[in-house]
Amino acid sequence: MYKVTLAIRYLLRRRITYLAVLAVALCVFIVLVVMTVMAGLVNDFKHKNHLFAGDCVLSTESLVGFAHYEEFVRKLEETDCVEAVSPVVKSYALISRTGSQSKAGVEIMGLDPGLHGRATGFGETLDRYEEDFCRAFEPEHDPNLAGIVFGIDLLYRRDVYGNYTSEAGQSRMSYSVSCFPLTPRGATGTKAMDMVETKTFYYSDKSHSGLARVDGAMAYLPLEWAQTLCGMTDPNRVNAIHIKFRPGVKLSDGCERVASLWEGFKQGKAGEDYAYLLDAVTVRHWKDYRRSSIAPMEKEQTLMTVMFGFVGITTVFIVFVVSYMIISHKTKDIGILKSIGASNSDIIQLFSGFAFLVGLSGSGIGLFGGWLFLLKINQIEDWLFKHFTWQLWDRTIYAIGDIPNQIELKVVVTIFLSAIVACLVGVLVPSWQAARQKPAETLQVNQL
Amino acid sequence: MLKLFLCLRYLRKKKIVFLSIAAVALSVSLLIVVASLFTGFIKAVEHAADEALGDVVLSPPIELAKYPLLIESLEETPIVEAATAALLAPGLLRLDTGNVRPVQVWGIDPRGRDRVTGFKKSLLRQKDTAGGPSFEIDGSEGKTGGFVGIAVINEPNELTDEYDLEAVESMIGKQIILTTGTASESEIKRRLLPFHIADVVETGVYQFDKGYMYLPIEELQRRLYPEAESPLAGQILIKLADNTDTEGALAVIAGIWRNFVDEQFDGDPYLLHRTEIVTSREMQRQYIAAYQKQMGILLAIFGVVSLGVILLVFCIFYMIVRLKQKDIAIIRSCGMARTSVALVFVNFGLCVGVIGSVIGAILGWLITVNVNTIEEWIRIIFGLKLWKSSVYLFNRIPNEVDWFATLLTIPIKVFGRQFAISLELYHIVLVAILAAAVGALIPAVVAATTKPVNILQYE
Repeated sequence: MYKVTLAIRYLLRRRITYLAVLAVALCVFIVLVVMTVMAGLVNDFKHKNHLFAGDCVLSTESLVGFAHYEEFVRKLEETDCVEAVSPVVKSYALISRTGSQSKAGVEIMGLDPGLHGRATGFGETLDRYEEDFCRAFEPEHDPNLAGIVFGIDLLYRRDVYGNYTSEAGQSRMSYSVSCFPLTPRGATGTKAMDMVETKTFYYSDKSHSGLARVDGAMAYLPLEWAQTLCGMTDPNRVNAIHIKFRPGVKLSDGCERVASLWEGFKQGKAGEDYAYLLDAVTVRHWKDYRRSSIAPMEKEQTLMTVMFGFVGITTVFIVFVVSYMIISHKTKDIGILKSIGASNSDIIQLFSGFAFLVGLSGSGIGLFGGWLFLLKINQIEDWLFKHFTWQLWDRTIYAIGDIPNQIELKVVVTIFLSAIVACLVGVLVPSWQAARQKPAETLQVNQL
Repeated sequence: MLKLFLCLRYLRKKKIVFLSIAAVALSVSLLIVVASLFTGFIKAVEHAADEALGDVVLSPPIELAKYPLLIESLEETPIVEAATAALLAPGLLRLDTGNVRPVQVWGIDPRGRDRVTGFKKSLLRQKDTAGGPSFEIDGSEGKTGGFVGIAVINEPNELTDEYDLEAVESMIGKQIILTTGTASESEIKRRLLPFHIADVVETGVYQFDKGYMYLPIEELQRRLYPEAESPLAGQILIKLADNTDTEGALAVIAGIWRNFVDEQFDGDPYLLHRTEIVTSREMQRQYIAAYQKQMGILLAIFGVVSLGVILLVFCIFYMIVRLKQKDIAIIRSCGMARTSVALVFVNFGLCVGVIGSVIGAILGWLITVNVNTIEEWIRIIFGLKLWKSSVYLFNRIPNEVDWFATLLTIPIKVFGRQFAISLELYHIVLVAILAAAVGALIPAVVAATTKPVNILQYE
């Protein structure tokens, strides 16, 4: 009991201890705020990429694509771990609004909205057809016409608040889409040498995936039309198959299963026509497929954690110094305690308890302050923008809405435990020195 | 003399002081590494823009005819060192059976481009040869030659991020086919352009190496615009003479452009008003500003956390003052003034700050300069590739420490007048020294107010 009493007494009576508490609180506050915002951004970004890609993607980088996909899609659909499959054409096109002379290069994605909406989060990105994504390519004014869905950044500009400025009359717009058809060997199409495939599509919806590179470059077309435009009909070809696994299927297990199925399928097709196109196909899980987008954010998060680890060393130093100071002033207490029978480990426990209290109170204050700050972080940013035109991110560049402020229990527990451990590490040497003090020396008359 | 003696003595005898030195050094090195990496990255982005586009880019709204006359006029002015034309088109490149990649095609004059952007040093084969770069292919006179970006034909190794140069070399001389097109008001026409790979371009910027290929401008124009009567260009890239004021140069170039349009196109208002004349750095300004803001926020975060250093110095000095009360009382009783006693500890704090900052600066410099070696060792030991060109644009981590690089510019208004305070890299060192002195301030005051009569009492 005396250990608890003394630890609390040292914490409350020695004002220098408040500095250690302040240092811990400051560190915990900053780490909580930064890690919450970063974790929020990274998780949100990963989630959006996961929605975009599905669980697993079987794809080739070549624009020629690969044949025999229908057969493999059937095989996948019969597999117990697969919930949904969506074959997709990916290519490039020149696009112009009817009546306009200017043409822009865009990426196109040909897909079956029903299949793709089940295999990925495509449906959730739509505006008008979010609830009924199977009808994504049905223009509002005439469902019989061929529709086109645009990435939202292709149509609208983001303002400084991250909102889109819409344009009236968009629903009746039509667009001419032109592609260079390619044969299975990658050569020119079968039409006259100087012609391209062109078709008019009518605006049916916009897609807001929240991924700047996708929303600013992608237009979605019906799969059959994309195949026709890209010359991928003889034989039917696609560039990728997006797969969603059933709930409970581990991502790595599912991908391994698809990869082994693909290997078997590829071997079975060896010697058949267009089998050479199957060689360039790879099976990757969604994170790997979107690696170039996700990896920088993940690495930045890791680096920030490492850097905060280094900065946290200063806190360890402060706890060390404060404990050292208290111990050097409390040699008589230690002498008395030892003379009435306290063991070395009791002394170590006493000062460890003190450090634990410093960590507990410091991290408590830091976490509370961090929580309050995060609660108001978006209002603070709004106020700063209103008065000083300062934003954390330029919303016209970054596709980020509000600053993420959802505190994760995992992050809180990690920070809290790290703060406690840092304090215990800081007190280790001073408490060991205190424990080694001899009462016969500290309680001598000339020392008193 | 006594003050200096005491400073040095405390520094030597009180080992705990080394903790504050270590904390200062740690914070300074961390801030220097973070700031250097960011400023290096921003510089690399700006440099990449210069290397790809020259100093100034003139972009007319339509393909520009008679451009050689404009280049001639530009090169006659002393502010322009060189100018060259470029014709741009999107295309599909067929590398092999069933292997087609999207590319951006640049129609260029290789010698002109080399004069503007130093293009030759990016060419794998020709960089060490004499003379200007050329599209000629050894032993295949008369055939069309072209350059392709290295990542178009070969992906960097996942683990080492290096290209298989043997495989790349083996592609040189090979014939590949480009499919491109021209769009008129009514239709889009496809054009096929078979050519031989004359050389491979490695700029070190992954996006360029992955997406660009280069053909002779005349050949590309002949295929895209066979009916054109005079040479056409999509952009004019301009290199300014050394030490030229950019703002003035832009005004001069705009004047030359106006004269050219007046003389050759009867002052066509579409050309005059819709043509952009901007520096290549200005084209990146929005992104550079975003990177700078990120750096500022990161430095502010680490700066606030580094305030812990002040607390640490305070704690250590306070402890020393408490432990050395007798020393203080003795020197006070010998006649030393209160300010002198305070100065002993403030100077001591400055000493800690100077030593810690110098160690931190050296450490920060060493880490930054060797960051690529460190990254390579992490890869070898842990098998973890931290930096990939496909992810971070460049094939090497920027590793320069520019002590005078501007980190932040803070605008302030005093008595209605606008000022701007620039924070440069070396200021981190100065702020750290100041922080250590501030940390020592209260203990110094405590020391100065010590009453010898209370401390030196016999009982």
